[in-house]
Amino acid sequence: MKKDKLKIGIYELTGCAGCALLILDCENELVDIFQAADIQSFLMAKSDNIDGELDIALVEGSVSTEKDIEELMDIRKRAEIVVAIGLCSMVGGIQGRFCDEKEWKENFKKVYGDIEMTHTKPVQSKPIDAYIKVDYYLPGCPIGKEQFLNFFTRMLRGNPPERYPQPVCVECKYNENDCLLKKGILCLGPLTSGGCGAICINHNLPCVGCWGPVEGGNWISEYYLLKEKGFDDELIKNKMANFSGTKIAEVSEQLRK
Amino acid sequence: MKIVKLKKENLFPFLESLSKEADLWAPVQKYENKHSFQLIKDFSQIDLKYTRTILPPKKLFLPPTFNMFLATEQGYEEDFSHVTKKILFGIHPCDIHGLLILDRFFQHVFDDPYYSKARQNTLILGHSCWPDENCMCKSTNTHIIEEGYDLFFSELETAYLVWIGSSEGDDCIRIKPGIFDEDITDEDIQIYIKWHNERDKAFQVDINFIAMPDLMELKYENPLWEKLGDACLACGSCSNVCPTCNCYNVLDKPLLNKYASEIGRCWDACTLESYSEVAGGENFREKRAQRLKLWYTHKLQAYISKYGKPACVGCGRCASTCPVDINVQTVAKALEGKDMDTFWNRLSKEVTK
Repeated sequence: MKKDKLKIGIYELTGCAGCALLILDCENELVDIFQAADIQSFLMAKSDNIDGELDIALVEGSVSTEKDIEELMDIRKRAEIVVAIGLCSMVGGIQGRFCDEKEWKENFKKVYGDIEMTHTKPVQSKPIDAYIKVDYYLPGCPIGKEQFLNFFTRMLRGNPPERYPQPVCVECKYNENDCLLKKGILCLGPLTSGGCGAICINHNLPCVGCWGPVEGGNWISEYYLLKEKGFDDELIKNKMANFSGTKIAEVSEQLRK
Repeated sequence: MKIVKLKKENLFPFLESLSKEADLWAPVQKYENKHSFQLIKDFSQIDLKYTRTILPPKKLFLPPTFNMFLATEQGYEEDFSHVTKKILFGIHPCDIHGLLILDRFFQHVFDDPYYSKARQNTLILGHSCWPDENCMCKSTNTHIIEEGYDLFFSELETAYLVWIGSSEGDDCIRIKPGIFDEDITDEDIQIYIKWHNERDKAFQVDINFIAMPDLMELKYENPLWEKLGDACLACGSCSNVCPTCNCYNVLDKPLLNKYASEIGRCWDACTLESYSEVAGGENFREKRAQRLKLWYTHKLQAYISKYGKPACVGCGRCASTCPVDINVQTVAKALEGKDMDTFWNRLSKEVTK
């Protein structure tokens, strides 16, 4: 007997909606996706959305308002499995780069002034696992088509998704690229989660870290290496912080020592 | 073994007739001073003045990623689409030695059909070379080659001396009769000997590899490993570019529209954190220092103890790849107790400041 179709919801918190758009962009597979699963909620794709019990919730975007927190808590209650998709959801995204609360408040004031938000209250942007338990993570900015389809199909078959614990350098070498870091270019490949196919370096552009920090990246060594190659301290830290969200907090701590 | 002579101007016509039967792969300049074995469409692309390619020739036998088979409910369908008839031209002695080491891994105890089929379908046409500052093949004794090729081209001033290493090689030179000359003059021999002596003197690196198993044992708990671990970027590049690294991972890629999975295979590296992770999330070698120790134990100790020679063929790829100076040359020298100006030494001073 075939089990009922999995009930899936796709949700967007604070972000560019690129990850949801990427799912819609799987044009050749869309019919298969909608046939294989019962897509209960997908704001970008359909209007008759149901907020009921779910087998899997895919959550894109970071948490940056109290409304986001409420929505996220509600998703967690309804879903058996919650998956953080994309950089914002996993590490807080570009908007999550300021981890110091005082600094965040100052920056907020600089941008918005003393304005009083009426519909919801802003909070410092954080990854979703700052609030709820997350079962799986799918990295990317946005997530990759191949990874998403692989992930989706594995979930349908009841298998856990692949993890992406390897840095960009692995695929970069698979493609026989010349190492930019070795040439003295500020490339964040060794610190960044692979899966993108090293697409930037394939086009002779350095990795900016958009897939987020890789597990076990050696930030201290790369920091000193870049310093030695003549890059400015602030530039290195800014580049490292861009896509690292809350992750850079520990690194700054280590570098201060 | 027979040696014949080929005039330089006859090389491309010879390769052209050969490549009617198979895909010709040869070194091509990919970046400034960086080469790659590529499928040759235009003979003018071939650059025989290269020292080493970024990736070793293992990529032609086991590509970085490929599908092994399609698993269905009924069984499985093998996929050998990476196996095509190939001619690998311009491969240097160190890389031929590298293939002989891979043969040991993939053919001697259990036969890996994905490797063997590709190997059987590839002609190896070697080419002589000249060392740069990273070449260690004289120390590993892999600067000359006596087996493992079908033809080997030693470049003289106006001609090649061509060693015929197999019956397939012998068949090759019969494809274009008349261009190979069996009459090698005394002058040719003198030029060859002179070239050989000069090349021997051109090596800049000298490492006593036979001492390495003992030094590895004596320095197994040495603080050197922590220093290396602190600097290592854990990028896995040393393994990916190594002609004898052979570890791989197997990945399932389930198909969405069919109850089946493609079973893929990709290169893996023991220097990556995920390599030693097992079910349940435990990791045998969580620290970079432990992983580097494993890599160097394999290259400099275990293989030498078992087979009397290192699992390093001295190609120098790790040295021209690692951004933080961790390579066979620097590690071997550090094990010998030599003080060097390397990034990992500078980093250790910086961090303990």
